[in-house]
Amino acid sequence: MSNNTTNVNQEKKLFDREVIQEIEAQKEHWQQNTVKGKVGEGQYYSDSGIPVNLLYTPDDIKDIDYLKDIGFSGEAPYVRGVYPNMYRGRLFTVRQIAGFGTPEDTNERFKFLLKNGATGTSVVLDLPTIRGYDSDDPEGEGHVGAAGVAIDSIEDVEALYDGIPIDEISSNIVTHLPSTTVVVMAMFAAMAEKKGIPLEKLSGTNQNDFLMETAIGSSLEVLPPKASFRLQCDAIEYASKNLPRWNPVSYNGYNLREAGTTAVQEVACAIANAIATSEELIRRGNKIDDFAKRLSFFWNLFNDFFEEIAKCRASRLVWHEVMKERFNAQETKSHLMRFHVQTAGITLTKVEPLNNIARSAIQGLAAVLGGAQSLHVDSYDEAYSAPTEESALISIRTQQIIQAETNVVNTVDPLAGSYFVEKLTQEMAQRIRDYIAEIESKGGLVSVVESGWLHREISDFAYEMQKDIESGKHKIVGLNYFPTEQRNTKVEVFRYPESAEKRQKEKLEKLRQKRDQAKVEAAINVLREKCHEDVNLMPYIKDAVLAYATLGEIEEVFREEFGLWQFPLA
Amino acid sequence: MQVKVVMAKLGLDIHWRGALVVSRMLRDEGMEVVYLGNQFPEQIVDAAIQEGADVIGLSTLGGNHLTLGPKVVKIAQEKGVDALIIMGGVIPEDDIPLLQEAGIAEVFGPETRIESIAEFIRSKVKNSIA
Amino acid sequence: MEKLTEYFDTKDDVSLGKLLKEVENQTPISFEILKHSSMRKGKAHIVGITGPPGSGKSTLVSKLCKQLAAKNFDIGVVCIDPTSPFTQGALLGDRIRMQELAKTPNVFIKSLATRGNLGGLAASTADIVQVLDAYEKDIILIETVGVGQVELDVLGVADTVVLVNVPGLGDTLQTLKAGIMEIANLYVINQADRPGANESVKDLNMMVRESGKTDWKPPILKTMATKEEGIEDLIDQIFQHKNHLEISGIWKEKRQIRNIDRLNSMIQSLLSSKVEEYIKKEVVWQRKVQEVREGKADPFTVSHEIVNSLVNK
Repeated sequence: MSNNTTNVNQEKKLFDREVIQEIEAQKEHWQQNTVKGKVGEGQYYSDSGIPVNLLYTPDDIKDIDYLKDIGFSGEAPYVRGVYPNMYRGRLFTVRQIAGFGTPEDTNERFKFLLKNGATGTSVVLDLPTIRGYDSDDPEGEGHVGAAGVAIDSIEDVEALYDGIPIDEISSNIVTHLPSTTVVVMAMFAAMAEKKGIPLEKLSGTNQNDFLMETAIGSSLEVLPPKASFRLQCDAIEYASKNLPRWNPVSYNGYNLREAGTTAVQEVACAIANAIATSEELIRRGNKIDDFAKRLSFFWNLFNDFFEEIAKCRASRLVWHEVMKERFNAQETKSHLMRFHVQTAGITLTKVEPLNNIARSAIQGLAAVLGGAQSLHVDSYDEAYSAPTEESALISIRTQQIIQAETNVVNTVDPLAGSYFVEKLTQEMAQRIRDYIAEIESKGGLVSVVESGWLHREISDFAYEMQKDIESGKHKIVGLNYFPTEQRNTKVEVFRYPESAEKRQKEKLEKLRQKRDQAKVEAAINVLREKCHEDVNLMPYIKDAVLAYATLGEIEEVFREEFGLWQFPLA
Repeated sequence: MQVKVVMAKLGLDIHWRGALVVSRMLRDEGMEVVYLGNQFPEQIVDAAIQEGADVIGLSTLGGNHLTLGPKVVKIAQEKGVDALIIMGGVIPEDDIPLLQEAGIAEVFGPETRIESIAEFIRSKVKNSIA
Repeated sequence: MEKLTEYFDTKDDVSLGKLLKEVENQTPISFEILKHSSMRKGKAHIVGITGPPGSGKSTLVSKLCKQLAAKNFDIGVVCIDPTSPFTQGALLGDRIRMQELAKTPNVFIKSLATRGNLGGLAASTADIVQVLDAYEKDIILIETVGVGQVELDVLGVADTVVLVNVPGLGDTLQTLKAGIMEIANLYVINQADRPGANESVKDLNMMVRESGKTDWKPPILKTMATKEEGIEDLIDQIFQHKNHLEISGIWKEKRQIRNIDRLNSMIQSLLSSKVEEYIKKEVVWQRKVQEVREGKADPFTVSHEIVNSLVNK
């Protein structure tokens, strides 16, 4: 595709050199005569700190070689989209997270969402589950079934997906941490096999990002970065061999961004993690094309509309470069950056909550213009509580409006060719490459987590952002820009089913009584030994869940065998 | 006199951004902030005792406020700690009166100016056992 | 004041917390607390942990406490962090690295801000330690600020000084050499799995040899605090140093010196406040001070006149 002999490069540029010279001369004239002295002359910046000009013209993108730097959809370098026909071929998946109470409670919400047009399930787990504690663990008090659904054993996974056609629609499981992922993924696979569904038929995504455990989220008992990273890789390696349609990782730029980074840092850290994963899996004897096609990403779209679109485009470009140049991946699918988008929870306000519908719609539109594969639009009441059925429905409707009423899905990458968007895409890509290089110069992603460097980057950003909000430099409508008089809006909040903790504990109690304790202990002991060997732990975890070992029991093995790590904060 | 704040993430709650940003900004307001990270009620109160805290700040986003918040107050009362106990995070409006009844002095939502948290603290804190 | 005795007699954490709060804030009642506690001399071995930023002091202290607590020692910890010179506020973040101690009942941690004091400690550190000692702690660990400057204050408070370094801090060693290198009784190379650890040990060995100390040759230890390795050795050496102090009589001597230092500093501050009051009371002295201010009288003569007059009264 790219004929890049340097001396003919000139001819491949988008614009003729003479035309550019003419434009540059005229632009200078325009600057001096028409613009000078007018309001708004000075420098503006994007949210990532990229300078934004008053006006963009062809000379801003004069060095772009269209075929080499932009190309066509479904072809390298994939700036315009990973699939040739994009949304005409398949609309983005409408995904709304659900998860609260017991698995039975969430199962009902799944069915409600599917009936109303959701095209896949997406489940969020409660904190004890994410943190590797059973529902009857004292550490989990007050959290069981609260901000997600409680999962203790394979029985819970069976209840969660009861009556859901998991061989037909995709199942997104927001496991966050690798330690949770390996257990829940093992439960999911074992459940499918028990139902007679072949693993090849399962499609879906796990989050599985060691940064969630060690940098983004804090907790009392955290596995060391190296151990958490190992489990992340175990899940990816296992799925690439056994669940060919499963995405065993969704590199979580989203939560990095919510915690406090720029759009550039968000993408760079996620790609740096994918690079580290690839290096580790190659060390284990896998080939890049065995697993690269199963790596997926998770972006957060804020309100800086064009920057976010440029980010999506730039992320595809950089990923393609990494796969082609660094890893020499041969299969097309390995070069495709596929990503899920969730609109930015942290941009939602508690004041005048209905404004959040507008914010989420704009962010959702940016995701579609950026070529996302699936989308979750935040509900307007998320600054109050988990979404109610009513607000979750508005989120689905927002996506359906984008799909069916705006016509933006009818043509691929419609903003391509905008001088501004193309320039910004190039600029974002360069900054992403630079930040990846900075991480690698400090020893790579695992090292910058161990040293606390990444935590400081996040903390500093969040601190500066808060100062900018308080000073009014960063404008938020209703809060510091046209602040509202009406401070306390009545919003109907979603109430977690109160009896969930009790019901979940009862189920667990019964399970502990009826299962074959010797079988559980045997499986746990094997797993314990294998933690110290250079092997993939997934088969041993699956054996344990089939013996009805609980999530907390399995993760206790990790905590004991890998030890705990002190979170380098302050 | 310098105000001393013990700041903690309540229980298993994951998100550290809010608590740390508030800690750094209360420092900018001239306070001494002991940052605990994640802790459970008993340990939070113990830290407040050892540090001689004037204020206990609890941060939560995980929906555990109604169980663990009042528990901190109860343990503090049992142990004779008279620190001002405040809470921040995503908390439903309807729960605020319940928390206040339980002894949480004030609940701050995600959009609170840190300055106003500092003002509230200064207006309430009294120092010295004498 | 009977109430104070009660506070000391109950020996519970709540009372101790309240006493320390007064002392930390130097409230009027803190004078009484210190007076009271100074005659309740305990037996605490006071260990200062100092070293540059990033050397892992907090983690080391955490692991020391964990193992000492397991041996049933009653432990006091004083951690010092810098006060912002611009806002007077401080972020005291040592507890985050000591989270594993939260459920350990025999560890009492007090975080202090420097509040403008230079030299690596907060002004109230010695007082805080004194109260902890009166509460019969077995061992008190003081973690200095560690901002990279020479932090000599810890010498005046601690019986045993541990200097923590990490491999590859060669330049830092050079700058520290002149000051704090001379004072440490124990050297620790933490994060000893990093490259350069053996070189650092060699450098230190050379320095220790050059310093020519004879009665106590400071040992040089390697630790990996995050992995809890080398901690037992360190504890062992800390106790050996204590033993050395006791046998050589330095233990007793240090405490006597500290008592006298305390007396002297109390006299000085008392005297200067008395002088201040005296000047305020007498118009004639106020006039003299004014003359010094305007350069009409010399401070040498006037200071003698004022103090002599007060003393002769």
